[in-house]
Amino acid sequence: MATASGTAPATAPATTAPRRRSPLVRLAALLGGLALAVVLVVAPLVSSPFINYQLSSIMVFAVALLGLNVVMGYTGQVSLGQSAFLGLGAYVTAYGVVQGWPLWLSLVLSAALPATVGMLVALAAARLRGLALAMITIALPIVGVPLARRLDEFTGGSQGQVVSFLRAPETTGLANDQWRYYVVTVIAVVVFVLVRNLVRGRVGRSFAVVKENEAVALSMGVSPYRTKVLAFTIASLLGGLAGFMYLAVVQYTSPETLVFATSINLVAAMVIGGSASIVGTVLGALYYVLVPVVAGQVSSSRTALISGAVLLAVLFVLPAGLASLPRRVGGRLRRRTPAAEGAPATPDPDGTAPAVPTPAAASTDRR
Amino acid sequence: MSYFVQVVVDGLSNGAIYAALALAIVLVFRATGLVNFAQGGMAVAATFVAYALVRAGVPVLAALLAAVVAGFALGALLERGVMRHFERGEPDTAIVATIALLLLLTGGSAFFFGYEPHPFPSLFPNRTFEVLGVFVSLRSVGTIVVLLAVMAGLQLLFRSTKLGLAMRAVADNPESSALSALPVSRLLMVGWGLAAALGAIAGVLVAPQLFISPGMLDFVLVYALAAAILGGLDSPVGAVVAAAFIGVAESLAGAYVDIVGDDLKIAVPFLAVMVILVLRPQGLFGKKTTVRV
Repeated sequence: MATASGTAPATAPATTAPRRRSPLVRLAALLGGLALAVVLVVAPLVSSPFINYQLSSIMVFAVALLGLNVVMGYTGQVSLGQSAFLGLGAYVTAYGVVQGWPLWLSLVLSAALPATVGMLVALAAARLRGLALAMITIALPIVGVPLARRLDEFTGGSQGQVVSFLRAPETTGLANDQWRYYVVTVIAVVVFVLVRNLVRGRVGRSFAVVKENEAVALSMGVSPYRTKVLAFTIASLLGGLAGFMYLAVVQYTSPETLVFATSINLVAAMVIGGSASIVGTVLGALYYVLVPVVAGQVSSSRTALISGAVLLAVLFVLPAGLASLPRRVGGRLRRRTPAAEGAPATPDPDGTAPAVPTPAAASTDRR
Repeated sequence: MSYFVQVVVDGLSNGAIYAALALAIVLVFRATGLVNFAQGGMAVAATFVAYALVRAGVPVLAALLAAVVAGFALGALLERGVMRHFERGEPDTAIVATIALLLLLTGGSAFFFGYEPHPFPSLFPNRTFEVLGVFVSLRSVGTIVVLLAVMAGLQLLFRSTKLGLAMRAVADNPESSALSALPVSRLLMVGWGLAAALGAIAGVLVAPQLFISPGMLDFVLVYALAAAILGGLDSPVGAVVAAAFIGVAESLAGAYVDIVGDDLKIAVPFLAVMVILVLRPQGLFGKKTTVRV
């Protein structure tokens, strides 16, 4: 599996022929992946609960960002409503916990319900072009917050809902924070592998062509409407799943979970990390979780200032996000070699690209 | 009956605020083809200028004028310094750029004034008066009158001045305008400046009611966007009509439909937008465009 992910081209929708890479690079990628897998498995055992909480949050928002990236990065449809699906997923899970549903049912419904809502919205909104879609998606968190306050039978109103679930089983000897970290990490890794395969296959190519030019997509027999609905449904499904993970980590949800500001920050983090990039999604999640922790210690308005400034800087000098940084640097260095024009765009990120899916393979094998 | 009229007038006064911001959005969209999600953030920043002046003892009217000037300068500056870079590129990138501006402006306002809401003095005395047995608040009527005057001024600017003509030409076809020796880039700056100045007026007028805080116009921006899209994005008349419609509709729904109430009335414009856009994707007053490959 590690080799399979190693050979897949990083810019799959564009390139067709499989590239050949030196065994040395392949080995390095494999070793890097293994190292990351070991770190992912060992980290919670040696860290404080605070660190584990942050690590788990990174997993949560990586999945939410991945959903956003599917619709916005890969398919090119601006969505400003991802936080609404995050909140919906968290509320569905909380309701399930309060009602005493089995955990698997909460998990399935926390993904299925937001996906259904997302699909219904998209069926209406995907007929519209970019801006109108952005507009409709804004409505989701804006209307969602008062709605969550109103439906206090299900949501606990403004106070929100405190739950207690996913305790570590006695036999594992793990603390709750460690156990929850492992649960969300497994979910995140599985989701990343699945989505990575999706965006590199036929569906991913239809996303790319719809993003590029809808008329061209139509002439190639790809329905832009259906593709957009599909992308939006996947995005809301992943948003809902991230909501389940969020509740697993935080054990509390309130209308604050789905505020519009969260959607805005998610968009910022996605673009900063790198749109239409799996590595970029992970970098975006790191950014999303860590910057407020660092900046918040100074003052909370700093977070917005820093985010805005970094986002602008990225848009100006690094439009493909932080994920393209090694490629850009590598491209600069290799500009003199004859094959430099398109080729250097790929080898460099490969050093990092498989690092995400590879531990996926490694850590699922462990279980 | 009297309550009904009161509700309608309050709705129209809110609608006038939405209309000002919607007009700003339409102005920018016509000139540069992008929707500015930072329009509300820019208006709040300008309103904070007025707030600082009022706190220093300057009368409200003078502070309003200062905010308009500051707003114009801010708009022109941001167009020249930031948005120019994105104007002819991918529209999605430009949207993200305006989101970056929103984050920066909100963060900046919060950095200087904090997140908590501050009271802001009203331009109009807080009184109600009676017309034909109906009580209406002076502030509502004043807001409507001021914004009607501003709109008439804008109409005059665009229809009967050389500057307005040049701006319309640039919005219509930048390449031909450049060939006709119009200073396109400077006119774009003026367009952004005007839009931001309009936002500043809306901000100062609505601040006494909402209390001034960095996120004060978030909701208003959402209404304004709804109005702009409902009106067709490139039609100023459409935006104003749609904004008035949204203001009155939500006010009535909030007052008379029990399920809606005061908290959920924000859902009303969206339902309207959804229904209308599904039936008529180019908006009520928009022109249908065909895309060529």
